[in-house]
Amino acid sequence: MKLGFKLATAAFAVAALSSTAALAEPGAWSDEPVRIVVTFPPGGTSDLVARLLAQHLDTDFGQKAVVDNRPGAAGTVAADYVAQQAADGTTLILSNNAPFTIAPTRFANLPYDPLAGFTHVAYIGASAPGLFVQPSSGITSLQEYVAFVKETPMTYGSSGVGSISHILGEAVDAALQVESIHVPYQGSAPAIQDFRAGALDSFYDMVVQNSDMIEDNEAIALAIASPERNPQLPDVPTFKEQGYDVVIENWVGLSGPASMEPDTRAKIHETVMAVFASADVQTKLTDLGITHVAMSSENYEALVADLIGVWAPLIEAAGIKE
Amino acid sequence: METLANFGGGLLVVLEPQNLMYCFIGVFLGTFIGVLPGIGSMAAIAMILPITFYLDPTPALVMIAGVFYGAEYGGSTSSILLNVPGTPAASITAIEGHQMAKKGRAGVALFSTATASFGGGIIGMIVIAFLSPSLAQLALSFAPADYFAVILLGLIAASAVSNGGALKGIAMVITGLMLGTIGIDLTTGVTRFTMGVPELRDGVHIVIVAMGLFGVGEVIASIRGARSGTAAQTVDYNNFYPTRDEWKSLFAPILRGGAIGSIVGALPGTGQTIAAALAYAVEKKVSPLRDKFGTGVLPGVAVPEAANNSATQTAFIPTLTLGVPGSPPMAIVIGALMIYGITPGPRLLTEQPDMFWGLVASFLVGNIMLLILNVPLIGIWVRLLRIPYKYMYPTIIVLICMGVYSLNNNVFDIWLTLIIGVAGYVMRLFRFEPAPLLLGFVLGPMMEEQLRRTMLLSRGDPMIFLQRPISATLLMLTVLIILFALVSSLRARRRNRAAISSTN
Repeated sequence: MKLGFKLATAAFAVAALSSTAALAEPGAWSDEPVRIVVTFPPGGTSDLVARLLAQHLDTDFGQKAVVDNRPGAAGTVAADYVAQQAADGTTLILSNNAPFTIAPTRFANLPYDPLAGFTHVAYIGASAPGLFVQPSSGITSLQEYVAFVKETPMTYGSSGVGSISHILGEAVDAALQVESIHVPYQGSAPAIQDFRAGALDSFYDMVVQNSDMIEDNEAIALAIASPERNPQLPDVPTFKEQGYDVVIENWVGLSGPASMEPDTRAKIHETVMAVFASADVQTKLTDLGITHVAMSSENYEALVADLIGVWAPLIEAAGIKE
Repeated sequence: METLANFGGGLLVVLEPQNLMYCFIGVFLGTFIGVLPGIGSMAAIAMILPITFYLDPTPALVMIAGVFYGAEYGGSTSSILLNVPGTPAASITAIEGHQMAKKGRAGVALFSTATASFGGGIIGMIVIAFLSPSLAQLALSFAPADYFAVILLGLIAASAVSNGGALKGIAMVITGLMLGTIGIDLTTGVTRFTMGVPELRDGVHIVIVAMGLFGVGEVIASIRGARSGTAAQTVDYNNFYPTRDEWKSLFAPILRGGAIGSIVGALPGTGQTIAAALAYAVEKKVSPLRDKFGTGVLPGVAVPEAANNSATQTAFIPTLTLGVPGSPPMAIVIGALMIYGITPGPRLLTEQPDMFWGLVASFLVGNIMLLILNVPLIGIWVRLLRIPYKYMYPTIIVLICMGVYSLNNNVFDIWLTLIIGVAGYVMRLFRFEPAPLLLGFVLGPMMEEQLRRTMLLSRGDPMIFLQRPISATLLMLTVLIILFALVSSLRARRRNRAAISSTN
């Protein structure tokens, strides 16, 4: 796990350097409208990123793009569909953890290969989840949390079995050597509602999206699972700095079917990077809790491969393997 | 007074020409999309979502809301005329509505749904304006145990929806419960009853069940009965105004439906279908016409429509004030607001008062628009029945296929709808009613989810249901309903026996 993250960090560093070595000019790559397949129904963060991208591809570069929501079976329906399309750059998928880093370990019979079955084109960014507890519990640090939970186990809400918040919960339990009671919900909103109502002791969710609750002292964010503190919430410490090596991020990127022409891949990569280089788009991205990182296509592909290995033991520990 | 002042401010916002225009576009598009079978408010909102990115938040929200309640309203039209519900909630309207259409009174039924929708919408709007903070508080005080109790109450009350025999009704509810267990178990992540079909992992979508049972089933049944070519019913195409007595009989049901719908709508995780079913079940018990329910009575058409529309409006309460979407369309609303950097939640009312009150006022304006738009259309809709079956039914099947495909963009869903349609036809042959099945299907998985969550939270102690005042009260009410039903059926049996022995 540790090695995995060193690799990932190295990938980030190399990415920052290599992204300047552009071969292609940003611009439209197809006369046809491009379909960006999203693995979730409309309205979620992933969908919003895809729509933001589609909108700016058109207004900034004249590349028409539409969002195509194909939710189902933990993202595998959409990934399987995209893997079977023509690799001419007209069908892309807004790739994320669910079909690419969780499903390969979770499901025994995956109809696609998360690496060889795709051309991974561009990394977009990541958001980090964290642990929230009730202010009334009086707990303000992970150390106090461990002491408390060792005495009386807490219930924690997640956005579903096999979701990133569930896997983080299990990873934290393992790192802290405690046992909590997992209560799955359908999405994070109903979990937060039960937390507000006092029915839940704690929950895991993306930290930036819940900054209102932190400011209003309705929830205490004990730790964030990013490698470093988030600049928007500098007061929330990381798991790492509190002595627990737990780093789990929810990343999004853009991928296409396998064996895409290198020219097409480079052109799409440069155009997408140009869209996310604008300050306006980056602000919208940070509002969604996502920190943008520029990265070359090759490093992005290596990152996906790396993360499958990083997540595998976590998924097995969570006991959701089929 | 403050509420009235706020509402006045909101009215000024919505009467700005731009907002007025988007409100109209919203209800207009919503009505037409809602009429199409299988394409409900969810698909309608997803379709206009890209347009809203180019607007300010207030007109965008007003337009999305317009599409939402417009589609829920439009869904009743095809359910009355063709027994093919445009939206799942409209399948309750179909129970009485289609019976009326068969008697040649489709125009009156459509007119009363327009009126009931308007009434329900206004009730929902008043509830939002005056009770938003307290209803949000109520939703917050609802723990999983309380949700379980309210759903159980709904299920028991709704088993009264069946107009056939009690045993057949229960059989259908249980079939629905069983269908609802297909897919991934939410609590453990284990797949159940998918028979290795990957498309069944996420379960069967409610629209597929509704369209199959009601839509496709109806079409197959009509093919057998329709050798003559066109609808046999004689319709007075111009007379669609209810009589004076009928007007009077509509008033109380609209009030009751609107009240039930407002409360159910404000609880996230329930929704329009439950609102309509619960209101219909209650009306069937309290209406002076209760003996005639199932034969096409006007209050039975008005009640689910009023409940449905008021629930559509109050669904915005948890969405905007708690940030908890009660239904998939509401999740899109939250997503749309997040694009503007507005996070729905307790702060929204104070931070975005213009937007909130503009939305509330737009419910008034939008519902008036719906009424103006739809009353003249009734005559045209009714004429649809003149279209020969050989043209109409293939068109319906195509529309259903398109609607179902639009859910997940997956062809498997179309085949599943057709299979369920054949099952629906067989059920019809043996006089099993599809409505209780749909209710079991909707309520069963929700009930299971809340029950198991409650047990996790209480660490396995079932006494939690009796310790919480809300769930204890609701469970007591449920027990009373069961007792009442038992006693009244015993009495009826005794009366029958007495009648038989006296004739002897």
